[in-house]
Amino acid sequence: MTLQTPPETRSKQDSPAALLKLRGISKRYGDFAAVEPLDLDIFPRDFVAVLGPSGCGKTTLLRIIGGFVSPTTGTVEIDGRDVTKIGPEKRPTNTVFQGYGLFPHMTVRQNVGYGLRLQKKTRAEIDDRVAEALRQSRLTEFADRSVAALSGGQQQRVALARALILRPKVLLLDEPLAALDLKLRHTMQDELRRLHQEFGGTFVFVTHDQGEALSLANRIAVMNAGRIEQEGNAESIYAAPATRFVATFIGDANLLQGERHGGQVKLEAGPAFADAGPDGAITAVVRPKAVKLLAAGEGADVQIAGMVEDVVYLGDHIKCSVKIMGEQQIIVHLDAAIAPRPVVGEQVNLGWPLLQQRVVVA
Amino acid sequence: MESRSNYWLVAPSALIFCALFIAPMAFFAVLSFWQVEYFELSTEPTLANYRDVFANYWRVMGFTVVVATATALLTTALGFVFSFLARFRAVEWAQALLFIVLITLFGGYLMKIYAWKTILGNEGVLNSALLALGVISSPITSLLYSPQAVVVTLMHFSLPFAVLPIYASMRGIADSEVEAARDLGAGRWPILSTVIVPRCQSGIVAAFSFVFLIVGGDYVTPLLVGGKLTMIGNLIAPQFGAQFNWPLGAAMSIVMLAAAVIVIYLFRLLVALWSRQ
Repeated sequence: MTLQTPPETRSKQDSPAALLKLRGISKRYGDFAAVEPLDLDIFPRDFVAVLGPSGCGKTTLLRIIGGFVSPTTGTVEIDGRDVTKIGPEKRPTNTVFQGYGLFPHMTVRQNVGYGLRLQKKTRAEIDDRVAEALRQSRLTEFADRSVAALSGGQQQRVALARALILRPKVLLLDEPLAALDLKLRHTMQDELRRLHQEFGGTFVFVTHDQGEALSLANRIAVMNAGRIEQEGNAESIYAAPATRFVATFIGDANLLQGERHGGQVKLEAGPAFADAGPDGAITAVVRPKAVKLLAAGEGADVQIAGMVEDVVYLGDHIKCSVKIMGEQQIIVHLDAAIAPRPVVGEQVNLGWPLLQQRVVVA
Repeated sequence: MESRSNYWLVAPSALIFCALFIAPMAFFAVLSFWQVEYFELSTEPTLANYRDVFANYWRVMGFTVVVATATALLTTALGFVFSFLARFRAVEWAQALLFIVLITLFGGYLMKIYAWKTILGNEGVLNSALLALGVISSPITSLLYSPQAVVVTLMHFSLPFAVLPIYASMRGIADSEVEAARDLGAGRWPILSTVIVPRCQSGIVAAFSFVFLIVGGDYVTPLLVGGKLTMIGNLIAPQFGAQFNWPLGAAMSIVMLAAAVIVIYLFRLLVALWSRQ
């Protein structure tokens, strides 16, 4: 893994190939800006995660795409058509809601066929397509049960089948796995991946769970306080976080404050190195896995001395906390097979290459 | 085992229900087969009271059922619209709207009747206003003392009993259900007819039943705003007073009860049929 930005496969420019284009989208509620003006392009067959903490505006953004919230400014374009003023009932999008929004007065089959019945399709076509959708979602045996009698995972599958049967250009999912327990969540992740591949559509989902975003999405937009702080593929976001927030939100990260002056960075913890960029406060970000325990006489681009505070064996790796200057701490992930293991109280030298470190402003 | 012991919690209400409703009803049912002759109660079983009801009172009974059905339909519709606004359209005003509905219950029953007398009378608010505006040149005399006056007055009185059950069942509809319906392509009307009405079935039927029963048993409103209008209540009440013919009164009550059960059952069927997917 290197920390240079992996090559972006697509330009962020106004690509004509984008299926969903958000331009200058914002949403204000009185004085509160839920979404600050932002642009976003989503391409056909993308599986996009909008990732952020609660209250960051991600659900509002999803609801703007789905047509449930009209943006204060900006336009939503889907497949070349401006749909900003079009309601959800006429948009080529379908949504899997967080509470699923299943109709409890209908059976599974009736729920799944609801959209087709509204489209006044023939009875035969509805029956065929519903049967097919139920089969694809492995719901055939539950077809004539009331949805209230289903488990959370089964309800989730009904909600998915009900939305996908209409073949939406963009499928929107609001925290699709939040209500499920851990084991089911993994099963549903596989299920979602499989559906995305079989269906071949474009999925956009909102989540606060970075693991979910990394495992499902091929592209991630990280949101914070109404802004998209970074958008790109999973590798580039993990390896080259654009901001301090992104660095801390995705994966574990050691953050070291410092000052840049004339292309020279000096960290509060001691080390100095060259890094081009504007003068001012910076944060150096280094992943726990990139940090090495240096043997005597061994050197590294960035070196810090410290004292081992804690050693925890975690099966596949050893997590070692090292106290450095100024009451700061650096977390190091060591190979589980390392010998000899560091012991608490031991003085150690830590080091990492510049290539595996990322410097962000402030 | 805990769930079984919980059944004891309904014992007090079951007791009250049996003592104050089932027992008197049973007594009435028995009473209706007895007869009063020369102010003397004869316990010889007879169908004479029922023959009397069907021979002499069927017109009034039918009229009562028509007025009660019309009032119940109108009030249920109004209650539905009111609840819909409070639950889905003016959510931030829901508390205030419900308060307005409930506060009308504090104003007495008779007060509402007199209020409508004041509004609908020949020199009442409505006629005066229309005269002043030049819409009419002489008062509309048919406003008060008419079936319409009875219906309007009873609607006003029974509206809270329609709003409360419907609003309660609408509260059970999650926003995401309505949003999902929209998302799947439903416009206003399909959402109403395929999601909201079917999900409020029990509330709608309860509202209709409350209003129907209130109107069907009422005998004060027709007396005060109905003019020469007679409803079955006006004929039943005296049987337990001046006429002193409890068995006939009981028979009338039982027939009216049966009519109410049939009408409510039909209404329930209608709502269920509507809600069928």
